[in-house]
Amino acid sequence: MNPMLELDRVSKSFGGLKAVDSVGFRIEPREIFGLLGPNGAGKTVCFNLISGVFPPNEGRIFFDGMRTDGLPSHRMAKLGLGRTFQIVKPFSNVSVLENVVAALGIQRYDRLTAIWSNRKEWSIRTKAMELLEQVGLCDIAHRKAGLLPLGNLRRLEIARALAVGTKLILLDESFSGLRHEEILQLEALVRQIRDAGRTILLIEHNMKVAMGLCDRIVVLDHGRVLAQGKPEEIRSNPAVIEAYLGKQGESHAA
Amino acid sequence: MPADDTPLHIEVFIQASNKETFMSGYILTLATIMAINAIAACGLNVIVGFAGQISLGHAAFFGIGAYAAALLATKAGLSFWAALPLVVLLSGIIGLLLGLPSLRVREDFLAITTIGINFIVEAVFNNFEWFGGALGIGGIPRIVLFGIKLRNEAFFVLVLAALILVMLFCWWLTRSWAGLACFALREEETAAASIGISPVRFKLLAFVIGTAMAGLAGAFYAHFMRFISASDFSFPISVSMLSMIVLGGIGTLWGPVLGAVILGILPELFRPLIDYRILFYTILLLIMIRFQPGGLLGETSAVRRLFNRWIPVPAP
Repeated sequence: MNPMLELDRVSKSFGGLKAVDSVGFRIEPREIFGLLGPNGAGKTVCFNLISGVFPPNEGRIFFDGMRTDGLPSHRMAKLGLGRTFQIVKPFSNVSVLENVVAALGIQRYDRLTAIWSNRKEWSIRTKAMELLEQVGLCDIAHRKAGLLPLGNLRRLEIARALAVGTKLILLDESFSGLRHEEILQLEALVRQIRDAGRTILLIEHNMKVAMGLCDRIVVLDHGRVLAQGKPEEIRSNPAVIEAYLGKQGESHAA
Repeated sequence: MPADDTPLHIEVFIQASNKETFMSGYILTLATIMAINAIAACGLNVIVGFAGQISLGHAAFFGIGAYAAALLATKAGLSFWAALPLVVLLSGIIGLLLGLPSLRVREDFLAITTIGINFIVEAVFNNFEWFGGALGIGGIPRIVLFGIKLRNEAFFVLVLAALILVMLFCWWLTRSWAGLACFALREEETAAASIGISPVRFKLLAFVIGTAMAGLAGAFYAHFMRFISASDFSFPISVSMLSMIVLGGIGTLWGPVLGAVILGILPELFRPLIDYRILFYTILLLIMIRFQPGGLLGETSAVRRLFNRWIPVPAP
């Protein structure tokens, strides 16, 4: 079977800075895959390369058996890739419901005749409410999105990603800034999405969450792959411990 | 009664000497200009208010519509009705061609690029003999409907009907997928792209719709004034169109119309202060941006709040 996502020696530099340096990994279908690393390791840049925000300088990306490096974001979305953003990007001046409805329009935006039809149809609305139900935002569906607290915006982004990402969903620190019970709910949701047959790639700072949730993990540091494997292998990997905690004695110097 | 080929300003002058028709003629002229401006402002609202792309060159497309209508009428001898689809189409196509490179840049750069478009288009009208040069184009015929030459009230009603159609189109746009795609782009371009909305396609779509509406307004303007010249479509006109939608309520349905009416009436009321008009506009814009950034009909505006206090909005 094809891997759901494969990065083959992908590199991206900004000016003189190599943000992602020859990174490669494979994600199998129905896997929860973690992308970890200290700040500035190049995790979000990786997400942006995969989702087509910008193209890589070198290397190849395969999504569900198809070569996709260089494809723009909206084409990747059409192929079934949904994502959230580390710095949340809601459509602030429209309602929570409309945010999700917008994502459900994915099948229409590239057909010049379909974009003129009325979006306020019942079936779309019901589907959007179902998605909001899944992330627990049903009660505030008619609030203006810009007025929501961060935790709810993270869920809203997940709902949007769910509407689009029929194959693969990228979660960029979707757990950060949430309370403990909210994290538990979201963890359950992520597992449920996976069990429904989708693949998930997530960036996570909270080690406990990442270790508990992921099937496999890649650790990046300074744009390179530092370690790769199952959570328990990562936990005991000396290179990883060093990247996170610094060399012994260095913490005193700092 | 003036002869049919008298340009409008002379006609108004003649009417002014005839006391009985002066007031109604004066008000009708003002109302017609306001309705024409409102159509153009609705178009600008699609670009700036719906899709969030700043344009400071809207008068250029207003001018392209006016010149296209004038040339098709005077040189090609087409009737207004035969020319109208061509005018709207042409404005939209030129909008597409100029939008294609412009919309690759964002925000401040887009503002400067569109200003540039305005100056270039004005210069072309002014310097090419084919466009009448500095003399402009005169002798534009009146619009004929069912064998009757439209003037005064009849012309106003025609423009009003066009405005209603334009507003219905805008209303439909806000309910369609295309409209939602534009709103999403306005709010967060990266996020919009991540849910399958092609930024280039929908920015261009908004730009084409907006410029086509400006062209429509321009066609009415040409046949109403019956004499046009490049300075009618200069940069200050673009600024005043932008002022209309900022004042009325950017991104709202009625905002551009309200803005066109207010900015149509105010200069007339303050005619003695005409030298300070630009100063007045500037102060007005600064006050709006400081205290009512959403415009008079914007979502959190004082007018809307007052309105909501009396008529509570039902849950959508």
